[in-house]
Amino acid sequence: MIELRNVGLKYGDKVILKNVSLTVRDNTIKAILGPSGVGKSTILKLMLGLIKPNSGQVIVDGTDITNMKEASLYSIRRKMGMVFQGNALFDSLTISQNLGFFLRENMKLPVEEINRRVLEQIQFAGLEGYEDQLPESLSGGMRRRVAIGRALIFKPHMILFDEPTAGLDPVSSKKILSLISSLRHNNNLGAVIVTHIIDDVFNVADCVAVLYQGEIIFDDVTEKLHEAQHPFIRSILSDKILEL
Amino acid sequence: MLLTFARNQEKALALWLKNFVLTMQEFFLFSVRTFISFPKVKRYWRDVLDQATICGTDSIPIVLVSAISIGSLLAIEVGNLLEDFGAKTMLGRSTSLSVIRELGPLLMGLMLSARFGSRNGAELGAMQISEQIDALRAFGTDPVAKLVMPRLVAALIMFLPLTALSDYAGLQSAAYMAEHYHRLDPGIFWNAVYPRLAPKDFVVGFLKAPVFAIIITLVSSFNGFSARGGTAGVGRSTIKGIVVSSGLVLIANFYVSKIVLENM
Repeated sequence: MIELRNVGLKYGDKVILKNVSLTVRDNTIKAILGPSGVGKSTILKLMLGLIKPNSGQVIVDGTDITNMKEASLYSIRRKMGMVFQGNALFDSLTISQNLGFFLRENMKLPVEEINRRVLEQIQFAGLEGYEDQLPESLSGGMRRRVAIGRALIFKPHMILFDEPTAGLDPVSSKKILSLISSLRHNNNLGAVIVTHIIDDVFNVADCVAVLYQGEIIFDDVTEKLHEAQHPFIRSILSDKILEL
Repeated sequence: MLLTFARNQEKALALWLKNFVLTMQEFFLFSVRTFISFPKVKRYWRDVLDQATICGTDSIPIVLVSAISIGSLLAIEVGNLLEDFGAKTMLGRSTSLSVIRELGPLLMGLMLSARFGSRNGAELGAMQISEQIDALRAFGTDPVAKLVMPRLVAALIMFLPLTALSDYAGLQSAAYMAEHYHRLDPGIFWNAVYPRLAPKDFVVGFLKAPVFAIIITLVSSFNGFSARGGTAGVGRSTIKGIVVSSGLVLIANFYVSKIVLENM
């Protein structure tokens, strides 16, 4: 379980998050919805301890990671897999090397086990035949599936997705969303999805938090979003895609 | 109006100073983290080898070109000057001192600042803006140990032979010019070189190699890690890395010479 308690964050004089509190339970898919540049991705980085808040606490499985040192954070981070918005694949490594990178780096596993897990993720992502290709030779949807595979390969409890369908064509988007759904059903994984596309929320999320002007203005099960009276939520429900 | 202008300038200066101090603090911590990660060198030996090829073997042509160029020019100009005083036989002595103590290491440092430093800045900057560095951290790998420490170890190892190569090429080209341009017998040239060189001349030259390696690697890598604002940001951070490291190489060149020559 991941909890943000009264988290505040500023970059210089610019306030990014104001007193944000939210909880992500295990085995649930939680969406964080909001317009671009409002601080949604920042929330994911806070959850991973990649950035530290100015106030409040970040708690992962009961451990307060707010002021934890970088070296201690590595064990916490391995509980979560992160899929970055731009995929963040290592462009000088092949698909197989990208998938196996963190197993080789951080886990003392036999080579056979690493190869088995890499093959498993290649099959899961439907990328057979592309093992030795570089990321630049793949389509956007394929690269996203590699990024998901890389996040899954060390068997985390939770996956964090930063705009999982942004920049993808409708077919690829649909594939990625069904992949996310299957993770919960088949692998019992929890997920946090940061998105500005409201259809993605209704397609996969159990619950949703809406971030607006640095504050959480809604945090409940997805079905109740239709009942929300906040003018911003009413406007996004009619527009479907948030644009600022 | 004048008062408002003065106040704005004061605010701008205060902000600049604050940012400068913060950057220095971050750079210091970044450098400490790099040195602290040295024990992990065994784990990243492949990365060290890759970087050694990039900053060492691949840099040989540019180091040779600059060393031959400066050695030849130095021999021609200094030879002309010495001829006026009838002291052309001292050409070997004067060129060898200039090449071994100062110009050989300095030009090598500037060339490597441009070549190795720009590569570091651009590569790490691109990794920063495409979130690859965040990805390393997110999955439990220390990006400084993985990306910066191997570069520094490789530079510390490779800059020494590159300095020796630069000195050798500079002296050989000076000897060639002495013989073919000034019609000076090679025996006279080399006799003025070998017996006159003292250990401190080599210490000055070779001590600069690790100092330049530390400056170039840390400054360019730090600027790469600090890149913000897309591809333009990578360009800015790369340029900043080259300018700052080249400036520091020039300053360090002066102080290393001064300190060693005053104390040996």
